[in-house]
Amino acid sequence: CGGGNDVALEDTDPETIYQRAERELASGDADDAAGLFSEIERLYPYSEWAKRALIMQAFAYHQDRDYENARAAAQRFIDFYPVDEDAAYAQYLLALSYYDQIDQVGRDQGLTFQALQALRTVIERYPESEYARSSILKFDLAFDHLAAKEMEIGRYYLKRGHYPAAINRFRAVVEEFQTTTHTPEALMRLVEAYLALGLEDEAQTAGAILGYNFQASPFYDDAFRQLTGQGLSPEARGSGWLRSIYDRTIRGRWL
Amino acid sequence: AVTAAAIHAQSFRFSSFDVQGNQRIETATILSTLGVTPGEVVSAGALNDGIQRLQASGLFESVEVVPQGNQLLVLVEEYPTISRISIEGNRRVDDEVLNQIIRSQVRRVYDPRQAEQDAANLAQAYAQEGRLAATVVPKIIRRSDNRVDLIFEVAEGQVSEVERISFVGNRAFSDRRLRRVLETKQAGIFRTFIGSDTFVADRVAFDSQLLRDFYLSRGYIDFELLSATPELSPSRDAYFLTFRVQEGQQFRFNNVTVTSDLPEIDIDAYQRQIRIDDGDVYSPQAVERQIQRLELLATRDGLSFIRATPRVTRNDADLSLDIEFVIERGERVFVERIDIEGNATTLDRVIRRQFETVEGDPFNPREIRAAAERIRALGYFTQAEVTAREGTDEGRVIVDVDVEEQPTGSLGFGVSYSSDNQASVAFSFAETNFLGRGQTLNFAVDTGSQASASNITFVEPAFLDRDLAFSVSAFYNETSRDGRNFDSKDIGFRTGLGFPVGEYSRLNVFYSLTETELERNEDPFDVNDDGIVDPGEGIDPVSAILLRDAGDPTLTSSVGYSFVYNTIGTGLDPTRGIRLTFGQEFAGLGGDEKFVKTTLGVDAQRTVRNDEVVLRASLDVGALVSLDDTVSVRGNRFINNTGLIRGFASGGIGPRDPFAPDDPLGGNYFASARFEAQFPLGFIPEEYGISGALWLDAGSVWGLDDVDGGADGDDGIGLVDDDFFLNSAVGFSILWDTQIGPLRFDFSEAIDKRDFDETQSFDLTIQTRF
Amino acid sequence: CGPVYRNHGYIPEDADLSALVVGVDTIDSVETTVGRPSASGVLREDAWYYVRERRRQFGPGASRPVSRELVAISFAENGTIENIERFGLEDGRVVTLSRRVTETSIRDFGLIQQIIRNFGRINIGEALAEDN
Repeated sequence: CGGGNDVALEDTDPETIYQRAERELASGDADDAAGLFSEIERLYPYSEWAKRALIMQAFAYHQDRDYENARAAAQRFIDFYPVDEDAAYAQYLLALSYYDQIDQVGRDQGLTFQALQALRTVIERYPESEYARSSILKFDLAFDHLAAKEMEIGRYYLKRGHYPAAINRFRAVVEEFQTTTHTPEALMRLVEAYLALGLEDEAQTAGAILGYNFQASPFYDDAFRQLTGQGLSPEARGSGWLRSIYDRTIRGRWL
Repeated sequence: AVTAAAIHAQSFRFSSFDVQGNQRIETATILSTLGVTPGEVVSAGALNDGIQRLQASGLFESVEVVPQGNQLLVLVEEYPTISRISIEGNRRVDDEVLNQIIRSQVRRVYDPRQAEQDAANLAQAYAQEGRLAATVVPKIIRRSDNRVDLIFEVAEGQVSEVERISFVGNRAFSDRRLRRVLETKQAGIFRTFIGSDTFVADRVAFDSQLLRDFYLSRGYIDFELLSATPELSPSRDAYFLTFRVQEGQQFRFNNVTVTSDLPEIDIDAYQRQIRIDDGDVYSPQAVERQIQRLELLATRDGLSFIRATPRVTRNDADLSLDIEFVIERGERVFVERIDIEGNATTLDRVIRRQFETVEGDPFNPREIRAAAERIRALGYFTQAEVTAREGTDEGRVIVDVDVEEQPTGSLGFGVSYSSDNQASVAFSFAETNFLGRGQTLNFAVDTGSQASASNITFVEPAFLDRDLAFSVSAFYNETSRDGRNFDSKDIGFRTGLGFPVGEYSRLNVFYSLTETELERNEDPFDVNDDGIVDPGEGIDPVSAILLRDAGDPTLTSSVGYSFVYNTIGTGLDPTRGIRLTFGQEFAGLGGDEKFVKTTLGVDAQRTVRNDEVVLRASLDVGALVSLDDTVSVRGNRFINNTGLIRGFASGGIGPRDPFAPDDPLGGNYFASARFEAQFPLGFIPEEYGISGALWLDAGSVWGLDDVDGGADGDDGIGLVDDDFFLNSAVGFSILWDTQIGPLRFDFSEAIDKRDFDETQSFDLTIQTRF
Repeated sequence: CGPVYRNHGYIPEDADLSALVVGVDTIDSVETTVGRPSASGVLREDAWYYVRERRRQFGPGASRPVSRELVAISFAENGTIENIERFGLEDGRVVTLSRRVTETSIRDFGLIQQIIRNFGRINIGEALAEDN
């Protein structure tokens, strides 16, 4: 039974529509469920059901990966019921709608900023809610994605021999993204870039910081070998220029 | 209306609250916005701020706060919620366009001020469409449960067209010429479909600017637009536009010098860059082009932050201007970061490598614009905005690249039926941004009874991360056409590298291996029952020349190069350009064929009569010289096609064996010349994108190693005339810019032709860039 | 057709450089006279590096640095200039870069899914083009 027949809905009481919407949701038809929930909100805006329908509507749209409508519904809930105990969940849903798009869109940076801001609001405004903890986790992952972007650009310039540009990008990772998983590699790349410019002592400083903080990381092993002039480990050196051409052209890797 | 009770400056302590009138907004929400908690002291000021916040929330029609001893009475009246929004009375502009303008939203509260604002915006939208008489009135219908339906009633009124455009005070240019400059056009029968003749206020401002630029770029530096007055016809549906101008005099360049007090500038080298001669008509574009040339020379010499600023001195006596270009050092600005956004599928490096500027380099706006052009030329984006904004401090700039991607892959299934090819099934896959890496991958299979063709191509434009295009392709074709006596089968592989060798030139080197096989599709049979089957009995006559090629397949293994120098569209001077292509193919690395095939093409293009008429001339010559004086194979010889000479079918000119005139023999040499003038069709408005062209083509295919044709090739009779014969044709074309590409309809008439040449008086092609 | 030359980065003119006095000029006065550096040391305050490079690219070959001038301004603890040195291309070391990369959590699309995401363009061009 699709949700579309407006006339019948006009005079059904909100509770029945709500239950039908929940059945739709349970049967996996999130889109119709969201439609029914939004009808409740439109027909009975002042009823208790309107509030519950609004938060369920946001959830259903999210389920249906319709992130635009999910955001709109969550935002309406926060505007009308800022003090409600579900407001934390609405804010979390809003953040998720940006965050889930990052996973889909591996390359675009714009969405990551919005996700970070929305997640930060959840963490700061509702610190004790159960959503704060998973928001912190997602915040770190989104933050890690930003660092990955900086690293990608740093490696682009490093490989082309534009060492100052590479150094600035890797320093941005070391300074602003310390908590992410990319810091060890960023420090190792700094060693490589300073060595290529002939600034031995800067390379030593970077290597020392890497050794002090990330002794066990494979990147420290690479950096150590670069500094002492030994050859790289086979795994880091790769096997031959033909394989490198194959990796770059066919598999799209960076080196 | 909001009435705040007169609260004198003292503080309160409330133990209980009585909130009335709220239906949707919860009491807890109202109290928390008001900022009061039971039992806590609150000052009058704080209470007042709370009231302001409640009003600002836009949720309440009225807010009233009455302190009664230790209880606070809060009376609120909520705005109703909008249950439905609809627009009535709009015929010319559909709901979907108008809905975007309306800010009020269903399920949100109804705010009368917002509804008025929406109505005003809707009326403005109609004014944009030229319907100045349109009016929009918001109305609400009360529904149960404090809900309302919001209806916008629209009265569209008539379109006001521009009846006549007239000019006062113009001596140098006629009214007709000036009308062509403006974007607003006079109403006319052709114009009923297009909107450009409707009167829109800000379009007149734009037209005034067009008029000013038109005069300025023709040396009238004192040009003044005195007034641009639209008068409304009494019936309000038509306008008369009058432009009153004061032209002033036309100025010309006098002496143009370059000066600089920077030691490292060699003045003569910069003076030689100047392309303005004394006496040329002054135009700001010419000055801008000189600035471009001077600054380009500076960057090429490795100097940074060099600016060329023109100092103009007027001498009214002889109506001339002296221009002094001062080369000086601008302020030091660096590119701090290049940030790319919006690339959902395209890899960051595919866009970043279009920039020659590296992060940390001096900021060169010209280079950034050139990079933006290159990004747009990739063809992966519907939109690519490159903007520079202030960085962390004033000496640094951050370059933002915002792209909007468009699908670049196309999958084609097709069952096509054509007269000469009967039914054929076609499948094609083409992707110009494969996996977002900027690579091209095309794959197509087309099987038909007459001819089948399949090919695969892969191109990596930045091989080894350099400006080095690596391409590899393979093909397999089979033809057995009715009306032709030969079936052909050819299979081939080709790989190549292309790289820049100068600012406007590129070199492509390639290796190609192809095997072609020609086979007679009919065997002679005993027609006259005389028991013996003569060589040509019972089948169409075939020239011995072609018979010699038939039989076992021939293998051609060759290397070659092609050099392209092209300034059309990319050169400094946009009005003219030249494109030179020179290529040679050496066959003989193994394989059966040993020859050198040389081709040369020169295309020159020039736009005249201020960018309206395009003159084109092109010359193509080619020669196939066998190295071991064996006979050239039909597959390698030159065959004409519409790319070389129009007015003739492909293979339509060139030597033929009178004994079997159906099959073109091709030739070892070809030469063709094409002259064309392309012009706008005055009577059709430009907005249709239709223009016409007149052209004259002449060319020839000639020269055979073995001219002994006839039935069997060694009897020395039936020699083929393979001399140079100049075929020529004139024609008229209609060019139409459509969404699917620039279509070209060629109508032609052959002038010099031989009786066996095959003409083609009409041809429809997708015109590739010239 | 010959090689294509390109310049990157920036080093201060000798005139400005000679105006800097070791032990006297501080970080701020260096910034006003010669501007901010192309890159700085790992710890921002202890050294500033100005790098200028001229690269040559010929035909299919990779673009190689032809010359690189590096001006290093190092600062003492009290923030004044400790030393101004110059480095050239020859001081640089040829470094083979490690191919190891930090794995990120972002799931990329499968091959087929990426291809399908990109469909939608009809190119009538080939369909109409007459094959001869």
